[in-house]
Amino acid sequence: MTRDDDDQPATSSFGFTQVAREEKPRLVQDLFNRVADDYDVMNDLMSLGVHRLWKDSFVSHLRPFKGMNLLDLAGGTGDIAARVLDRTDNQADVVVCDLSEGMVRAGKKRFGARMGWVVGDALRLPFSDRHFDGVTMAFGLRNVADIDACLREIHRVLKPGGRFCCLEFSQVHWPVLDRIYEEYSFKLIPRIGAMVAKDRAAYQYLVESIRRFPPQEELVMKMRNAGFGAAKYANLSGGIAAMHSGLRVA
Amino acid sequence: MTEQKEHPSIEPKLLELLVCPVSQGPLTFDREAQELISSQAKLAYPIRDGIPIMLPEEARSLEN
Repeated sequence: MTRDDDDQPATSSFGFTQVAREEKPRLVQDLFNRVADDYDVMNDLMSLGVHRLWKDSFVSHLRPFKGMNLLDLAGGTGDIAARVLDRTDNQADVVVCDLSEGMVRAGKKRFGARMGWVVGDALRLPFSDRHFDGVTMAFGLRNVADIDACLREIHRVLKPGGRFCCLEFSQVHWPVLDRIYEEYSFKLIPRIGAMVAKDRAAYQYLVESIRRFPPQEELVMKMRNAGFGAAKYANLSGGIAAMHSGLRVA
Repeated sequence: MTEQKEHPSIEPKLLELLVCPVSQGPLTFDREAQELISSQAKLAYPIRDGIPIMLPEEARSLEN
């Protein structure tokens, strides 16, 4: 065990608010339990359906194979897990693990026993070392209290040769798009959230947490520091989202 | 009303896979109580509607 607790920051960002590090999981949990039932509809509305294309690209990027042992972390309502199973003729072992019981219940209701469902914390995974061929995390890493600790934990449960793929909002690089996106996300998304999900605060958190998340290169560095080899990224929609991947080498 | 209460099944495969998130130690399945017991961490993790809740703060302490 090489976990040095002294290095862990005492506070963590919850959107633009600093909260005690221990507070964040509960806040995130509450938030997702609240929005679970509207989550899929909200994703479609907010991204104008583009999140589906991103997830398709992401799963192509993962290159799932038959017999693959996959952990879909923060897998919420099962979007990534279902795509992986579709592409492997249901011949992959997929476990969805999410901190929010509400999200897991919504996912299980939707997809049933096609995959395994577990409520768990990404900073303390209930899995043994070197177990998975792959770990995916789509729109989840932003919500953990300690990104570095989470990356180390993901690395721990991967087999040597196993791959971690992360899909997350990132930093927009196109000059005009960045302004439009800024306007859209900061003004419109919380309003859509208030109207449709009746929860403005939750969607305010969403846009703020996107701004607080480390940009592309910084996340690559964090992955390297956590022990990943071949860490790299590819942008989607000009950097509105990015796919990062890395290998557990040994 | 005497028939046994049916629990939504938890996948055997999933049971094999899980370890205690605190101790990384093995878990034993208590079917009656619908709990996963970590004897090392002295915690019992609940299974609700077939979903294991692997969070220490949701677990029942087995001390005393």
